[in-house]
Amino acid sequence: MSPRYLFVALLCCGLVVSCGKKSGEKDPMSETAVVALSGDADNLNPVVANSATSGDIQGNIYPTMFDVSFNTREGKLEFEPSLVTRWEFTNGGKDVVLHLRPDVRWEDGILVTPQDIKFSYELYGDPEVASPRRSYLESMIQTDGKFDVDRSIEIIDDTTMVFHFTRQYPLQLFHLNLSPIPRHIYRNADRKTMRSNPANEHPVGAGPFKLEEWTRQQQIVVSRNVNSKLPYPAKLERVIFRVISEPTTRLTELKKGAVDVMRPVYPEDVADIQESSPDIKLVTLPPRSYEYIGWMNIDAKEYHASGKKTIRPHPLFGDRRVRQALTYAINRKAILDDQLGPYGELAVTDFSPIFRWAIQHDLIPYPYDPDRAKQLLRSAGWSDSNGDGVLDKGGKNFEFTLYYNVGNKRREYVATIVQENLKQVGIKVNLQSVEPVVLYQNIEEKKYDAFVAGFSVGLAIDPSDRWGDINSPFNNVAFSHRRVSELLKLGLHVPTERDAGPFWKEIQSILHQEQPCTFLYWIKDIVGQNRRLKRVNINVLGVTDHMWEWTIGDPKSSVTY
Amino acid sequence: MLFGLLTITFFIIRLAPGDPVSMYIQSDVDPEYADNLREVLGLSDPLPVQYVKWLKGTLTGELGMSFSKHAAVGDILLETIPNTVLLTAVALVFNFLVGIIIGIITALKRGSTLDHSVNITALFVYSMPEFWLGLMLILGVSLHLGILPASGMHSPMAKYLSLPAYVWDVVEHMILPVFVLGVASAAATGRYMRGSLLEVINQDYIRTARAKGLSEVLVIGKHALRNALIPIITLLGLSLPFLLGGAVIVETVFAWPGMGKLTIDAIFSRDYPLIIACTMVSGVMVILGNLVADLLYALIDPRIRYE
Repeated sequence: MSPRYLFVALLCCGLVVSCGKKSGEKDPMSETAVVALSGDADNLNPVVANSATSGDIQGNIYPTMFDVSFNTREGKLEFEPSLVTRWEFTNGGKDVVLHLRPDVRWEDGILVTPQDIKFSYELYGDPEVASPRRSYLESMIQTDGKFDVDRSIEIIDDTTMVFHFTRQYPLQLFHLNLSPIPRHIYRNADRKTMRSNPANEHPVGAGPFKLEEWTRQQQIVVSRNVNSKLPYPAKLERVIFRVISEPTTRLTELKKGAVDVMRPVYPEDVADIQESSPDIKLVTLPPRSYEYIGWMNIDAKEYHASGKKTIRPHPLFGDRRVRQALTYAINRKAILDDQLGPYGELAVTDFSPIFRWAIQHDLIPYPYDPDRAKQLLRSAGWSDSNGDGVLDKGGKNFEFTLYYNVGNKRREYVATIVQENLKQVGIKVNLQSVEPVVLYQNIEEKKYDAFVAGFSVGLAIDPSDRWGDINSPFNNVAFSHRRVSELLKLGLHVPTERDAGPFWKEIQSILHQEQPCTFLYWIKDIVGQNRRLKRVNINVLGVTDHMWEWTIGDPKSSVTY
Repeated sequence: MLFGLLTITFFIIRLAPGDPVSMYIQSDVDPEYADNLREVLGLSDPLPVQYVKWLKGTLTGELGMSFSKHAAVGDILLETIPNTVLLTAVALVFNFLVGIIIGIITALKRGSTLDHSVNITALFVYSMPEFWLGLMLILGVSLHLGILPASGMHSPMAKYLSLPAYVWDVVEHMILPVFVLGVASAAATGRYMRGSLLEVINQDYIRTARAKGLSEVLVIGKHALRNALIPIITLLGLSLPFLLGGAVIVETVFAWPGMGKLTIDAIFSRDYPLIIACTMVSGVMVILGNLVADLLYALIDPRIRYE
């Protein structure tokens, strides 16, 4: 029975100590904020990190070239000085001259130099490293199809460097904002095993925070980097990122005050939080992700059987009128109201409403109109000739299987509503839920004729990964349209972002007309934040944007500094 | 046995649909990158080649690199195994301590209201899903009563605490998960114990013990209990796999940084080396559990001797 005695003994010790500790020492949590995350970071080396969690953390540890913000009124990214103090475009916009701060030091005291930046870009561009951000360097100088670091990056002196691009385009500064890593640490690192390099566990950065502790599956602790000049040491002593994957547990910790910032809060929990937890402020983010029902535009069976050569319209969804009819027949508004309410908005195309300047405002979302749908289907040759309640054409019924991922309640709901709605217009839908990894792989390989999926868009407009051509990486419905391809080339080659506006607007009109898929709704993420945390700027860039400005104050005071 | 288990796991996970690289394919990811990555991760080799490489690695103690966590599998396991062992070991102790006590009480008070109500409660608890019980306790005990922490293994800044305070901190965090993990098996153990003890009590030698005037405490405590415990020891070996399985859920609900949560993550990201290693550890733990149970037999039952 010794464990019992041990337990009792421990209880007694604990009681004695916990009573004794109250006075005296400073509480390490007094200047500490806690952020709850759903998953652990994969890596804290910005060259190879891929998880959302890493993205939230590494930007506060490693130096950033620019201080980026997203201007919501204008709907575009803005760049302010950080490690780069000023920059100019020369040679018709093909060359970018960067002037660097001379006084920024890595945590270990060594100066941050142009050599560090060049070395880091070499890593980002090296196929052996396989950085997820290698495509950022695509428009710099290439030799034999590979990024040529020596021809792309020129070091003029200790504070000046020039980046050479093959063309001027709107995303140049965005692509110049990759975080450098210290050359003196990684110089001799093996490129192929960059991901598991032991140095990644102890990042040496120059940002406002430094890594204090990383316990896998548990927490990542960053603390103030007192020597930081980018832009200055964090105001908080420490921020703790805790991994709590179960949503109810995460929400409980927020309500208890054990966690200061947490995302996402689900729309169904909003009313309860507002009522029971006055100390929690809910921030709604502008929408960056949408959900849609994909309709395979081409005959996928033929396409795969012919080794991706034969491209013929899909027997069901190849006809534009059918796709329009499907959108008319699905009550998207009802799905939106039931699932998201004010935290979503009907999607017209896949151009996010955050890019205000690029939005074609006169497109009217397809209303729920089953009669119009029936009419369109009839004009496309579909009618119920055998009286079995299902439309048919040439002896074949209008019947298909809709795939969605298991465990995603919202998409399960979408699938059932779609099945019910389409039954009203004489279309038979079979439902099939699939494990997520398998689902995405099959969608990507164009194996499903119809599926429910979602997509998140970047902060700069680049629809070419979806609508470039049939082989574009995310063109999962194999939509192709000559005019859209032309417009994409035009839009991506203008000198400044704004010049692309007319091209983007025309693409939206075409997408609206063609309905390559049925766009359902944009989702606005909700972030919960304890009011004791001040000067928090949770925005579309993430919850940890400008985290170095956070301070802790009285939750009751409305002062926001 | 372990080798067979791992070989089967190796092929099952690789033949199952899903590509470990596909989770990296997001909107801002270069598709060429996927091919590079496949090569770097050693997934472009044919299956038999991968198997031979893996076998060689495993035999030399080299568990490989985790795809999704970007670190040596061995290091990751070293961080998480102790947490799971702590949780399941304490839950095991809780399970048997509470189970045996319940069993003794209900057996001695057979047929009473106490017996019936304990039986019904045990049945109720036994059929409760662990994640539901966990969430209810978090909401009830932690949120509304505000007495115990809802998640984690210790307070975020526990490393600044003195040793006794630290231990107390961990104990506090352990109470709910251990309860959820152990309570269902404790209910089951209680039922077994009751049945086993009842059987023993009716034996002739118990009557003899009573007849020679021994006190009831001695009769039950010394003669009956020792014999009644033998079948319970078998349970000990058997309940380990269940506890490890339950730990997966409990660790997720309470954000306990253990192996269960790790295994789930590994499966969802098709992190082959990590899945295999987790399977291996669970396998070893179950085998060890059975070994301990066998050794305990000898301790309790003088008729069993290991030569």
